[in-house]
This record gives sequence, C-alpha cells and structure tokens, in this order.
Amino acid sequence: MSGRVATGADRADRPIRRRGVVGWFDPRGRRLGGWAFALNRLTGLGLVAYLYLHLGILSLLAAGPGSWDAFVDVALSPLVLGLDVVLIFGMLFHGLNGIRVSLVGLGYVTDRHRALFVALMVFGALVLAVAALRIFVK
Amino acid sequence: MAMRSDANERTGRDEPPAEPGGGFAGFFGQALSGAALLALLTLHMVAQHFLVKDGLRRYADVVEWLKNPVVVLLELGFLVFVTWHALLGVRAILFDFGFSARIERALTWLFVVAGIATVGYGTWLVWTIVNAA
Repeated sequence: MSGRVATGADRADRPIRRRGVVGWFDPRGRRLGGWAFALNRLTGLGLVAYLYLHLGILSLLAAGPGSWDAFVDVALSPLVLGLDVVLIFGMLFHGLNGIRVSLVGLGYVTDRHRALFVALMVFGALVLAVAALRIFVK
Repeated sequence: MAMRSDANERTGRDEPPAEPGGGFAGFFGQALSGAALLALLTLHMVAQHFLVKDGLRRYADVVEWLKNPVVVLLELGFLVFVTWHALLGVRAILFDFGFSARIERALTWLFVVAGIATVGYGTWLVWTIVNAA
C-alpha cells in the first residue's frame, strides 16, 4: 500500500465511462462498487423479465386445474429447479446489494460500504446454499 | 442529511454512490419500494414455496389458499410494490441513455400505463380464480 492520498487531480485522470449498457461493463478503473452496480442492473433486468414471465404463467390458473397441474409437473423437472436456484441468486444479490445502496444513498455507513457489501454477500451465499439444498434434497 | 444513490457506482469508483439517475424522487421511490419488497418477497417465497410440499401448490390448493382475504391482500400488495420497483428501475436504466425531455416524459407515461395494466391483470387473475371455485 502506497499510503498516497487521492486528490481531485487523480479523479480527473480516471477514464470517462460510456453511457448505457456498454458503460456498465467497461473494465477501466472499475472496482468493487462498480461491478456491484453492473450486476445490480443485470439482476434487476433479469428479475423484471422473470416477473412478467411469472405473471404470464399464472394465467394458466384461469384456464383451470388441467393447465395448471400440468405446468406444476414441468416446474418440478431438474432443469427448472436449477433455474429456480439462479432466480434465487438474482433475488438475493439484488435485494442485499439494494440494502447497501439504500443505506449509503441515505448517508449511512458511507465509510464502511465495502465491508457491508462483503457481509451481505456472505449472508446471501449462506441463504442461497440453504435454498438450493431445500430445492434439490427432498 | 447527505443524499446519494447508486449512480456514482457507474463510474466504477470504490466510493460511496451519489446522484441518482432518476433524481432524488426516483432513488427514494426505489429505496422505499425495495424495503417493502424485502418483507413482502420474503413472505411470498416462504409462504408460497418453501413451506409448500414440492414448492408449488396444485390447483385445488391454490384456490383454497386464495380464499383467505389476508393472503389476497398481501399478494396484491406484493404485486403493487414489485411492479412499482421493477418499472421505476427499468425507467432509470433507460434514462441513462440520455433521451430528450420529451421522450423521457413519454416513457414515464408508458410505464405508468404498464404499471396500472400489470396490477389490473393481477387483480383480475385473483378475482377469476377465487370466483371459479
């Protein structure tokens, strides 16, 4: 560690990131908070897509027991159960990172936000492991 | 109180985030609906999936479950908050592309209509299932 203090000039030297989706994955100068931001947006978009897929599938309930119960059989296949684990990862990452973003955005734990991120992600990994076990081990 | 949001994170710097893309109202709306979702989504996942045999109810069990008005109220509340959070989030992402004010206004109205339609659809679906029983 150099112990050098960051200055305004250092900030000015940093690359200007491109707007839009391409900018989320621009690796230049990107650190933990930047990757968390990119993954937060990716999981967010995935969850929005899932929300509307989920609402569409629920319309099978309006079609009666035959349609819905046939879907339940498909949903219990190993492939769909595996996708459920991916979905739970997305929920956990987005939700737990959202706690950090909200707290920091409101002016709390601004100096410890990296430690908070790591703690939340460790908690999320534990919950994901328990959820995966519960899904696959009957 | 210093107001910040996730927008500074798009710079990739390991600094506390600042300046919300959709303005303070957008950031606060996301934080508020996000907080509600932490509770409602957890409740939904536990009650609808983790406490249910095989993780999904069969048709007859769904109908029986929805006869409880508290369940209907909680699920519709969940739908309202998740729709609000999802559409406000997509709006914030689109606004990052730097559209004109006129297009941003049009997008906002589009999301308002989409949100009302989504919640309307969910309400119709619950109504249909409950009354089909």
